[in-house]
Amino acid sequence: MKIVYAKEELCLNCRLCEVYCKTAHSKTKDVLKANKYENPAPVSRITVYGDKMLSAAVNCRHCDNPKCVQACITGAMTKDRKTGVVSVNEDKCIGCMTCLAVCPFGCIKTGKFAVKCDLCQGEDEPACVKNCPNRALVYVDLGGAR
Amino acid sequence: MKYVIIGASAAGLACAEQIRKEDKSGEITVLTKEQYFPYSRPSISYYLKGAVKEKEMYLRKPSYYAANRIEIVTGAKVTGIDRTAKTVKVGRKIYPYDKLCICSGSKPFIPPMKNVSGKENAFTFLDLASSKAIKEKANGNTRAVVIGAGLIGMKAAEGLSKICKSVDVAELSPRILPSILDAKSSKGVKKHIEEKGHIKFHLGDTVTEAKSRGKKITSVILKSGKELKCDMLILAVGVRPETDLAEKAELETDRGITVNPETMQTSDKDIYAAGDCTVSVDMLDGRKKVIALWVNAVQQGSVAGSQMAGGKQTLGGAYSVNAIDFYGLRICTCGLINAEGEQYSDKVLQSGDSYKRLIFEGNRLVGFVLINASDNAGIYTSLIENRTDLSGLEGNIFETPSLFLFEKSVRAQRLKGEAV
Repeated sequence: MKIVYAKEELCLNCRLCEVYCKTAHSKTKDVLKANKYENPAPVSRITVYGDKMLSAAVNCRHCDNPKCVQACITGAMTKDRKTGVVSVNEDKCIGCMTCLAVCPFGCIKTGKFAVKCDLCQGEDEPACVKNCPNRALVYVDLGGAR
Repeated sequence: MKYVIIGASAAGLACAEQIRKEDKSGEITVLTKEQYFPYSRPSISYYLKGAVKEKEMYLRKPSYYAANRIEIVTGAKVTGIDRTAKTVKVGRKIYPYDKLCICSGSKPFIPPMKNVSGKENAFTFLDLASSKAIKEKANGNTRAVVIGAGLIGMKAAEGLSKICKSVDVAELSPRILPSILDAKSSKGVKKHIEEKGHIKFHLGDTVTEAKSRGKKITSVILKSGKELKCDMLILAVGVRPETDLAEKAELETDRGITVNPETMQTSDKDIYAAGDCTVSVDMLDGRKKVIALWVNAVQQGSVAGSQMAGGKQTLGGAYSVNAIDFYGLRICTCGLINAEGEQYSDKVLQSGDSYKRLIFEGNRLVGFVLINASDNAGIYTSLIENRTDLSGLEGNIFETPSLFLFEKSVRAQRLKGEAV
């Protein structure tokens, strides 16, 4: 399956991926409102780590055998058999964050529920990739079972 | 092949699912004494406080079991295992097996107390049925007393505090949540719970007897001599592995059912056991422990299922990892949080309401306690699980962990999502 892959040598640490992730997962879908005024503020599912010299944006790897799914105590976290996308059912999630405690990539964020990348379901390309000014983020199939 | 699984919670379901992955044709029967299809047991406190509806508690959709040919038999309390005939008895009904897995979970431990047994307003808090019974009885006039300030007792207390007039918690230990918190952090958590939940603690104390009118408890007397008015008593002192069936079948037990720590096989080659009913070897200190936690149960169940179906999955090693919240305070702990000995060292970072304590053994991380500081905690967990030599790391381990803790080649692997 395709996932978002970061090329650290191209990342500028501009954090536009975070801005557009928040926008894509906001109520208003408006850059200004989503990033400044919405309450509760949307949570970015991608995070840029590192410094100005070396950085990379990290979001869910949509693992083959995801630890978060295995650890989920409510059955809210599932991996779709057809698409491979790992996602949270917000009606079932109780926000215990056991998923966060076991994700070895640091890809789950705390909100009222567990918050994570859904690859912008329904879009051809996730918002973070689409808006990366330097193509440091690509949407690719890295091969293997995934 | 006929597979029978006793118990339908975390371990039992994981076992059934793994068998189906590796054996497309075998018959899988899961026997549960409860009246419900597999549900989220930890959610019962969220159900009690009204944060989750019953239909959202089920771990899989009803159609899932038919689609995967996993037969779940509810109301099926196993009364015996015949190892010679290779059958499991549920009353008069007989279930033959080729491979059996016992995932019988925990049973409540109830210390001797005068005048409590059989009272209609004394409850344990372990399953959906008990949560429903409590929810039905509790109201704005209820003065509840919870015995035990472990995970179960504190979650019951939190749920009840949203419904009841008052909640008192008695705990024999001098601190709350002793299994997941160290002495220092438990003080802060206790203060938070007192403020947000208006829960009153009686630490170093416990209930010794109850006063009653007919079948109803009206008050309880504590060891210290205090008397608390009580309309509802929750017994949450602790749990023990449910080993009755295994013992009757003369399987080896040692507090929990003894299993091969890699394969989950018991002393009978055709019988496996997984989850809270077993005794694990903690990979971090080599000690035998009952690790009654969800993640451990799922991993063990999955390994047992694989082995039963002739597969190759083995357990890398057991350790504790737990995440929980109380009134918005997030607690995340892993590994040897109460490690004692010269080989261990620790460091605490504290600011405002956040607390981060990392526990080391030489150059390795062996445990953490994170309170409102759990961002990316799974990276710490992976350092513990992989026994990573910290001297090879690039970043500062006390900052929020990220992939930039690792050197370039490891980071590149992880960015690709490769096995960790």
